[in-house]
Formats: sequence, C-alpha cells, structure tokens
Amino acid sequence: MREIVITPLKTFSVPIEAEKICPDTVSSLALKEIEGIEVWEGNRKMPLSDLFQISGDEGSTSPKDTLISLKGDFSRVKRLGEKMSTGEVVVEGNAGMHAGNSMTGGEMTIKGDAADWLGREMHGGLITVKGNAANYVGSGYRGESCGMRGGEIAIEGSAGDYLGEHMCGGKIAVEGDVGDFPGASNRGGTIHIGGNAYLPGAEMASGTIVVKGCARVLPSYQLEGTVGLEGMTLKKFLGDLVDNGKGNLYAASVE
Amino acid sequence: MIIKGGTVYDPTNGILGEEMDISIENGKVVEEAKKGDVIDAKGFLVMPGGVDAHAHIAGAKVNTGRIMRPEDGRQGLEPKTKLLRPSTGYTVPNCYAMGYRYARLGYTTSFEAATPIIESRHTHEELEEIPIIDKGALTLFGNNWEVLECARDGDIDKLAAYISWGLRASRGYGVKVVNPGGGEAWGFGGNVTGLDDPVPDFDVTPREIIRSLMKANEMLNLPHSVHLHTNNLGKPGNYATTLETLKAVEDITSSMDRQVLHITHMQFSAYGGTGWRDFESKAPEIADYFNKHDQFTMDMGQLIFGSATTMTADAPLEYANARLLHAKWSNHDIELEESSGVVPLFYGRKMPINAIQWAIGLELALLTESPWKILMTTDHPNGGPFVNYPEVMTLLMSKPKRDEEIATLHSLVPKRSILATLDREMDWGEIAIMTRAAPAKILGLKDKGHLGIGADADVTIYDLNPEKIDPSKDYKKVKAAFSLAKYNVKGGEVVVKDGEIVSLPRGRTYWVDATVPEEHAQRVEADLVDKFTKYYSIQKSNYMVQDAYVTNPMVVKAGVI
Repeated sequence: MREIVITPLKTFSVPIEAEKICPDTVSSLALKEIEGIEVWEGNRKMPLSDLFQISGDEGSTSPKDTLISLKGDFSRVKRLGEKMSTGEVVVEGNAGMHAGNSMTGGEMTIKGDAADWLGREMHGGLITVKGNAANYVGSGYRGESCGMRGGEIAIEGSAGDYLGEHMCGGKIAVEGDVGDFPGASNRGGTIHIGGNAYLPGAEMASGTIVVKGCARVLPSYQLEGTVGLEGMTLKKFLGDLVDNGKGNLYAASVE
Repeated sequence: MIIKGGTVYDPTNGILGEEMDISIENGKVVEEAKKGDVIDAKGFLVMPGGVDAHAHIAGAKVNTGRIMRPEDGRQGLEPKTKLLRPSTGYTVPNCYAMGYRYARLGYTTSFEAATPIIESRHTHEELEEIPIIDKGALTLFGNNWEVLECARDGDIDKLAAYISWGLRASRGYGVKVVNPGGGEAWGFGGNVTGLDDPVPDFDVTPREIIRSLMKANEMLNLPHSVHLHTNNLGKPGNYATTLETLKAVEDITSSMDRQVLHITHMQFSAYGGTGWRDFESKAPEIADYFNKHDQFTMDMGQLIFGSATTMTADAPLEYANARLLHAKWSNHDIELEESSGVVPLFYGRKMPINAIQWAIGLELALLTESPWKILMTTDHPNGGPFVNYPEVMTLLMSKPKRDEEIATLHSLVPKRSILATLDREMDWGEIAIMTRAAPAKILGLKDKGHLGIGADADVTIYDLNPEKIDPSKDYKKVKAAFSLAKYNVKGGEVVVKDGEIVSLPRGRTYWVDATVPEEHAQRVEADLVDKFTKYYSIQKSNYMVQDAYVTNPMVVKAGVI
C-alpha cells in the first residue's frame, strides 16, 4: 500500500478547504504533483506545498491501495476525504468540519476529535473516531431531506447535538453520551448510544435508536414494553407519533 | 454585423432552412449592414433568439424557494470569473445564473409568469439583476378583490380601468389568472371546485371572473391575451374542467391577430381518472379540442425527472402537494390579491404518477397539429428547470429517444397514455416555432421571435448542420448543441461564443401602459382609496412600482380606443 504523509507547516488561523485530500484524487499523482494541488486558505487559492509538507511513497497506485496519513493538527482543515470511494485516510490528530462527507467507501480513522458534520450525507464506508465528535454527525446538510444513507460511523468518545439528523440508512455507534436531539427527523438507519441522550428521535418516521444509558423521551413516544438486548433490559417505545412515525426507540432508563 | 451563410429557420417569415445572410445594425435586423464583424455561419443552424413565455424567474416566491432550499443552492455551483458573478442553484438559481443559463441555451427573452401587484417591486428588483435577456412580468388578477367585485357587477369598463391601473402599478405586461376564485377562498381555508362554484363572500363564480377578465383584456387591446392557470389544476379528472373553461369562452373574440386565451402548463390540466389510482392521460381529448379551435393556445409544462421546486399562486394546490408528499412547504396570504405556495419535490421515473405526467406533456405537443398553438415550456421550475429545454426538444424530435426513455419508466406509462404509439417527429422548423416564433406571437412581441427587417437582432447559431444531421438518430448530438449555443447574439451584440458568455449587456423590461376613459379611471380611484384605507397594510402612495425599479423599460402602449 502506498502511504502519502501530509504534515501542516504551521498552525492554521484561517480554515483550509481540503476536499482534494482524498485517495481518489491523489493516488495516481507523484508527490511533486500532489504538492501542486490547489486548495483554498480562506479566500486565497494556493498549492498544497505552501501549507503542508508532503512526503511518503512515490509512484502511482489505484485509490484502493492508497493510505493518506495526516500527521498533526487538522482541526482547521475542512472536508478531508470528501466523496472518497475507497482507500484509507488516517488523521493522527483532530479533523476539521465535514470530514468524510458524502463518502461512498473506504476507511477513515480519526485518532483525535472530529468537528461538526462528520460523515454527513455519507453513502458507504467506515469512519472511526477515537476521541469525541461534535454536532451533526452523519446528518444532512442545511435543507437536505436525507442525511447519511449507508456505511458506518463509530465514535469511541461522545458526540454533540443533532447526531444522525435526517438519517436514512447506515449505522452510527457512539460509546459515550450524545447531546440534544439525536436521530431527529430520521427515516431509517440505526443509532447506538452507549451513554445518555436527550430527546432522541424527534419526528422520526422509521429507524432504530438504542440508548444504553438514560434518555429523556418525548411525550409523543408510546411505551410498548421491555425487551432484552445485548444482555440488557431496555424499554421499547414507538414513535414519533406526532408524525405517524414507526420508529423504534430503546432506552435502558428514562429521565 | 453580418451573419453569413447559415441555414436559417425563421418560420414567421416563411423561411425554413434556407442558406442566407442576416445583416444587423444598431441592434436591429436590416436589409444591408454597411460595416461590422462577419460571423461565418456556414453549415450551422441559425434561428431567432429563444423566447420563454412562461417561467418563474423572479419575485417573492422564487426567493422563498431559494430560502427554503439551501440544498438546491449547493447544486449548479460555478465560481466567479473575470466577467461573470458566481452561479448557484439548479431549480432556483440566483439571478445572475438565470441570465447566463438562458443565454447559453440560445434564449434572449423570458417572461416571469406570475407576480401579485403588491410584490412587483421585489419582482423588478430581481429582473433588474438578471443579465443579458429581455424580460417582463405577468401580473396576477384572478383573485383580486376589485376584480371579483367588478366581475360580480358585470362592470367591464371599470374592470378594464382597474387592469390598466394594476399593470401600471406593477409595471406588468399582461393579465395572469391563477385558479380564479380559489386563491381568495383559500384565505378562509376553502377552494372552488369548478367553474360555477361561487367564491365565498363575493357571490361571483370562476366562470364570471374568467369571462370578465377576457372581455376587459380585449377591450384594452393588450398585446397578450389572458394567461390562465385553470381551476382544479393538478387534480385527477381535471381535463373536464379545462374543456368546460374553454367552451365557456368560445363566444369571446380577440381584439387583434392573436389567441383570445392562453392556457398555461397544460400538462397539469389534462388529467383523467377519478383519483390517483386510476390516474390517466387525457391529452388526446385536449389536443383534439385545440385542433378544432384556432382561438386558443397553450404551453406544455413538460415534466423533467429529478428535482423541481413547485411555486404557484395556487396555494390550496401547494398545501395538498405538501400533505401528499410529506414535503416542506410555504404558504403566503397576499392581502387583497392572491395566496401562494412553494413546495420542493422530486419527480421519479419509477413513480407511476410522475411517469404518466411526463408522457402527458409530450402527448400534448405531438397530438396538437399546429406548433403555433403549443409552446415548449417546463413551467420552470414547477415541471423542472429551464436548463432542460434541449432535453424536451430532442424528445419531440426523436421517436427512438422517446422509446429509450419510456423503457426506463414505470410500466403503467403505455397503459395510461398513448405516447408510445405516436410516431410524429418534429422538424427544425417546428422546434423554431415552439421556442421562438409562437411564444413571441402569443406574447404580442412584434420584434421578437423572427428575423425579418426591423426585428430585434436576437440571433442564435447552433453547431448543427440541418442538412447533414438526423435528429431522430443523432439526438445526443442535437441535445449537446442546443445546450450550448455556438453563438448567441442579443440586440446585435455577441453574448455567447462557443458556449461561453463573452459580454453582459443589460436586458430591457417590457411593460404595458394602457389608457382608459377618465370617468372609469376615477371610479376605480374611489374604490382604491376605500380599499387602501380599510384593508391594505401599506399606503397607496407607497404601492406603485416607481420608475427607479425599471431602469431599462420597454413600454408597450395599449388602451381602450
């Protein structure tokens, strides 16, 4: 596998739009050519080499055999791995907004934290976050009626508000707590929350949300009984009934 | 400027595929140009600039669509260049993109299809920002209180005086009528169900509203006829209402050489069935009626698969759409004048209703014998965005293309429509009529849609050799060429060259200044003082669109003789 290593040359004060840092774009390029890729820093366009040091293996491969290692702090670098279809991206530090958005395949690992809109409108592939993720994980961007449609996002820490908003498919698993309104307006897909959640599944039409901690459940959810799941006893709810929803909500305890 | 040796299609002047030169001077077509550039058009298709007689391109509801659909704004992004501003949007593009995209298609004129008087200032603010093309706006009259009262009283003189005032107040070009009576009823949660269903509190029927407006329109000698969006639009079985409407006005005659009534986006008004389950095409019945009656015209309102944003003054229809499709929606009550709504939706190939709707639009065009009676539109962006016009042109010109499309659609299409059995393939001349000559004639734009001496020098050159190419087989090539004009000349200036915009002249805005006898104007004035005092949220003095909002006007004179 060809490894391409990208390291920031400085601490960015202005966000970088780096949708071109993606296996599909760089796999066939020589390191020199990758250095010449143009990205936006704020309102200025500049070659990648002005902002990052590019190193790693030379040679041209298929996107599938490409590993992009991002070493350092990428918390102000947006749109990493946008629309990636295959290959691998590993962020050693934090990742900026919109990481892995619209990806259709491949793997992205973020060893630090992920900013807002992680994996939004994702269709396939796997995103793993070792730290925490911010708001709108796997959701649809402004106005979009369908967010994540497939693939998987695994977060080992906690996540912010509006997790999986407008989700239509795929799976999100968070080991820690999540913020307000996880799975709002979702129409499919599965959300697993290891910790607590506040008002999950508002306007949910269909889909599954499992809260293994404590959940504040909307009054428009109907308790259907208890079920055993993964060795736990969970309360099962049907909703969101304000929207004639047929979604399943499970919670270990209710606030 | 001389455009040399192109294969010219100018149906208004009886020119169908002749190799000839077109001379241009001072923005007009002339007998012989003394100087200027020469464009070698040998082997290329030359037509007058395209004219769109019905599109929603400016105003409050277009902007509501933009606000509601940030996700649409993410499509169609084009960065700014040295010459151009950035473009955004697919179904609801920004103002600049409207101008650029029309120009690239070879269009030079487009009319905004519906604007209430009170919101006309907004419409003109947007029209002013649309570059290149000439434009105008049709003003809504079908649910206006003053109109309803005049129609109830049978006072056509006063109605004509009000229309004259309304066109001046809105700097509007013609009389648009949307679901007459229904929009007013919707203000109280109701609708009208047919031509003889009285409007609550006004004791007037849609039949009376339509007839009165048509009579007043002809009394005023307006360049365009009444432009009607029928009652019951979008509902199964509505073809009966459409035919009843036409029969109800057969006795009214036109004041000039044009249609007496234009029914717009007919596709939405040609439905059979008693509900969505037995929904079917009634295009043959509609087309048959039009083939036998020469005083009426229509436009297609062709549906395009994919994303669309429906926007209309038919607010109850939009409410029904939103409930049916569980879509996001907006509704607006426009004081004493209208109601309106916006609903984004998605037309799917495998959705039986959408697939049949798609077939109905094409059936209407193919079954109507004379292309002068049916314009090519998509009711942008209700049926789909105008950038898809080349797709519609190829569908009309190629049976194999239609067959290829039908194969990808829901299997109900051949059972509920006869499109698959139609062999007609339109030729270049018929396409030139449907997209140029006929819309200009129907709108009453004497200098548009043709290339005779004295016409506006709006000329499009497409990279197509009509002698060599067979549009039936090479429809992909035809579509590509129609999508990006080789040249587009607007008012004698080259605006598009090889598909790229090269200059940005400012277009003009057409509006109609119609005069009426003073006594009737004074009667209207008295009513207006009363209405503005009692009901309107703004003062009459702040209501009129000032000249500052129409900085490049083209005023057409009309009035009671």
